[in-house]
Amino acid sequence: MIPARILIGHDGSKDADDAFETALELAALCRARLQVVSVATPPEPPTRVETEATLEAATQHYEEIFEGLKARAKERDVNLESRVLVGHAAEQILRLAADTGADLIVVGHRGRSAIQEWLFGSTSRRVVSYAPCSVLVVRRK
Amino acid sequence: MTEVWALAALWLGLALVATLLSIWLGVATALSEIVVGTVAQLLIGAFVGSALLGTDEPWIRFLSGTGAIILTFLAGAELDPGVFRAKWKETTGIGLVAFFTPFVGCAAFAYYGLGWSPRASWLAGVALSTTSVAVVYAVMLELGLNSTAFGKAVLAACFVNDLGTVIALGLIFAPFTLKTVLFVGTSIVVLTALPWVTPRFFRRYGGRPSELEAKFLLLALFGMGALAAWADSEAVLPAYLIGMVLAGTVGKDHALVRRLRTVTFGLLTPFYFIRAGSFVSVPALIAAPASVLGLLIAKLVTKTLGVWPATRVFRYPRQEAAYTTLLMSTGLTFGSISALFGLTHDIIDQAQYSYLIAAVIGSAVVPTLVANAFFLPRYLLPKPVRASEAAPSSAAVEEAAR
Repeated sequence: MIPARILIGHDGSKDADDAFETALELAALCRARLQVVSVATPPEPPTRVETEATLEAATQHYEEIFEGLKARAKERDVNLESRVLVGHAAEQILRLAADTGADLIVVGHRGRSAIQEWLFGSTSRRVVSYAPCSVLVVRRK
Repeated sequence: MTEVWALAALWLGLALVATLLSIWLGVATALSEIVVGTVAQLLIGAFVGSALLGTDEPWIRFLSGTGAIILTFLAGAELDPGVFRAKWKETTGIGLVAFFTPFVGCAAFAYYGLGWSPRASWLAGVALSTTSVAVVYAVMLELGLNSTAFGKAVLAACFVNDLGTVIALGLIFAPFTLKTVLFVGTSIVVLTALPWVTPRFFRRYGGRPSELEAKFLLLALFGMGALAAWADSEAVLPAYLIGMVLAGTVGKDHALVRRLRTVTFGLLTPFYFIRAGSFVSVPALIAAPASVLGLLIAKLVTKTLGVWPATRVFRYPRQEAAYTTLLMSTGLTFGSISALFGLTHDIIDQAQYSYLIAAVIGSAVVPTLVANAFFLPRYLLPKPVRASEAAPSSAAVEEAAR
């Protein structure tokens, strides 16, 4: 099946960047719509004032990353939509995929922090387990 | 001054370590600072001497107290007045019940179950009566419930709950004297005048690099804090109330709030939370873990007994009621502020303080996990519309009709 709508999760890491490059090539080849989503995660447990500050800073950080991603997408003539969601990464990616009817989810193999992965579980693994569509996990080159 | 700079460097070094830990582990900075304070005091006390950390130095107490005051002000300023007005009856009802039931219940457990003194028991009730607005807010954002009537009502109820906590903290332990009357009277005048004066004053003289807005707010906070302390009350009480009355004006000025946050998180709150952590006695926790567990269970049970029936009175469906109840059993910031108040005013001893802090931290984590795992009101979540379920096109309808 040729995907018509590809969703890529991006957390600002090098792995996510490699995954984006792969998603971009696929989208260009298949003439698919590409959507990039970043998830701002509140601190655990969320605390007064810091939660709002963290989410604001994360949103601003991801918006800046999206500018670069949009420029790269434009070079390949790919239509790129972007969104910043709030919550836990895997859950938000899965919900957005179901909401938008994505045919393919692309994620990096490993995110920003190996310690967080060990503590809270791997995002890519959870996406693979519960995705409503096919998932492509991209390993770092 | 050499000792002062060296001590300041030590504290900021600990703050930096705590921040790195919070980044690596994805945990709240407040939590990592409390833990770093605990460990630092343990290690420094064991190898060098407990006095090295200088927790009772006047300037450290000032920075720590200022951190608590501004943090509390910013917390109050997060209130959305529109949300509160929309459902004030059920938010007030649920919020007050969410405060009183654990306040009385946990105080009773501390008195009868753990044998604490009456004043220490009331302090335990105050510390464990809190609800974390941040936890509720974060969960609501994640699930998109913050835009539903249910989410707005729960958020507003949390503010009412914490208002009860702050008022109880500020008034219960203060002897009722003429000073109290003067403090309350002046507070009423100031809280009435501030929402009118502040925006006009800022419009006239604000918006300059000299940061007039920050100086004005600090004047109000320190002035009312001094009055509160003079009346043997607690400075965070007027800070929270000032934040709430200015939530519709100052609270909406994101640039000003951001600048205050920078000072608060960059310099002040590390002193507060590291100092709070430094008073935790690990040997006391190891010696009596059942006390911590008992206090945590007391909070969860009393919140459930209070909030669940209140939500049913307001006709919440079962799953929503259970979810609301568990979310409102959380609380970290105000719980730790209350516990430290008790310790510094000799209402509780170090062991009791340690149990309360551990129970407060537990209450920030456990209920959220349980709530999301078992009681999430999924039917409130936006349902994905798949292509196969989409409404048929008009052409298809016409075809079927032929």
